[in-house]
Amino acid sequence: MRATQREARLPLSQAPDEGVVRHVEVGGRRVGLYRVDGELHALADRCPHRGAPLCSGRIATPVEVRAGSLELGTRASIVRCPWHKWEFEIASGRCLVDPKLRARTYAVRVDGDEIVVSLDH
Amino acid sequence: MLIDCDIHVGYETLADLLPYLDGPSRELVVSSGTHGLAMPTYPWNHPSGWIRQDVYERGSGAGDFPYLTLDLLRDRHLDRYDIALGVLEPDEGAAFAILPNAQLAARLCSAYNDWLLERWLEEEPRLRGMLVVPAQWPEAAAREIKRLGGREEFVGVFLPGAARIPYGNPVYDPLWQAVDELALPVAVHTHFETIGIAPPLTAAGMPDYYAEYHTLCGSGMYGHLVSILCHGIFERFPHTRLAMVEGGLVPFVGFLWRLDTNWKACRSEMPWCRRRPSEYVWDHVRFATQPLESPDDPEQLVAAIEFLRPWQTLLYASDFPHWDFDEPEQTLRQLPAEWRDGVRWRNAQEFFRLPVPAS
Repeated sequence: MRATQREARLPLSQAPDEGVVRHVEVGGRRVGLYRVDGELHALADRCPHRGAPLCSGRIATPVEVRAGSLELGTRASIVRCPWHKWEFEIASGRCLVDPKLRARTYAVRVDGDEIVVSLDH
Repeated sequence: MLIDCDIHVGYETLADLLPYLDGPSRELVVSSGTHGLAMPTYPWNHPSGWIRQDVYERGSGAGDFPYLTLDLLRDRHLDRYDIALGVLEPDEGAAFAILPNAQLAARLCSAYNDWLLERWLEEEPRLRGMLVVPAQWPEAAAREIKRLGGREEFVGVFLPGAARIPYGNPVYDPLWQAVDELALPVAVHTHFETIGIAPPLTAAGMPDYYAEYHTLCGSGMYGHLVSILCHGIFERFPHTRLAMVEGGLVPFVGFLWRLDTNWKACRSEMPWCRRRPSEYVWDHVRFATQPLESPDDPEQLVAAIEFLRPWQTLLYASDFPHWDFDEPEQTLRQLPAEWRDGVRWRNAQEFFRLPVPAS
């Protein structure tokens, strides 16, 4: 992995599979790299609730109620904080139990055979 | 300087206690059931795990309560938060007191206390232990308290919120007598309500979800505190000190107001309760902070608990490594600055009569 102050590059071959996190460091910040529904996403490794290392939380599939029945949402699309088990949507950082909270997300793009995680959107 | 009065440790499997048990009990532990003796446990599972996910290594036992090693406790908690002294409460060991078989419970309690002493307390000078005792057999509990309660590694007696009858009842007098003689504090800590020989969590009947259980789990503790106050335990056993651990804070305010009012009308049925019940609380009872109620506006919490005299009665508690762990600085920040020193260490140091930690 190569890193500058504002971005980190790693080989595309190291992209995480769905349901797995890859930890990277960008400009001194810990970031979790995830794949959801084929797309790569990067999430700050800090829970906005109490500051826990969010990206060491378990990746899960949300359970939703649709038309009165229980359904599974997008596979491996949320992470549960390891401390208090609050759920965050990986793609958006949105907290599913407190609309005021959002985990920080970072831009991810594929540049040739490299993944670029950037602190700049 | 920080004292944490609620850290949980436990054995990996009950078989870890075998070297500390007598022969007949070893035989029962090994041969009972299908895979050896099993403790009664909760019918509700936490939907995403009881334990903080970043602090344990799953051992060979792979039970409900994953195994926390002493090294991990040091690394992830004692060192990380610079904890001067930590008080160890049990995990599954809390279930001994709600086993129907009181004789077996007594032997398991002794084995557990010896294991705790050898494996944790003698290994790490920052740790102190709470004795687990067979509360369902108060005479045996008193013997266990007298056996180990004088050792400086143990700073009190643990009683689970789950119990056959409330702890103020006179059947428990031998237990109170023993702690009074040794001036040892007692912590009543929510644990295993509804399980084993304990009655239902509330008179409403069995809740369906873990979230319901965890919201109501202080119910046993409220019952015990009211019982202890109404039975005049602090009059009859004046050296007794009591901590309410993991029952929240706000509910106690309402119960104490209501009890004070009821006492005015009903004093004649409990004449040994000579003072207004809440007045005993300031001298004898302390409350652990975790799980600190967290309204959107922290000022509402401060106003709600002010009656408890938090500057003198609150003890910081993390509940490490459980899922509802409260981080120390974030806990203290939610309280007024003038309360923090007491909550951080001073109240616990006085209550448990701990050495003054080096800063």
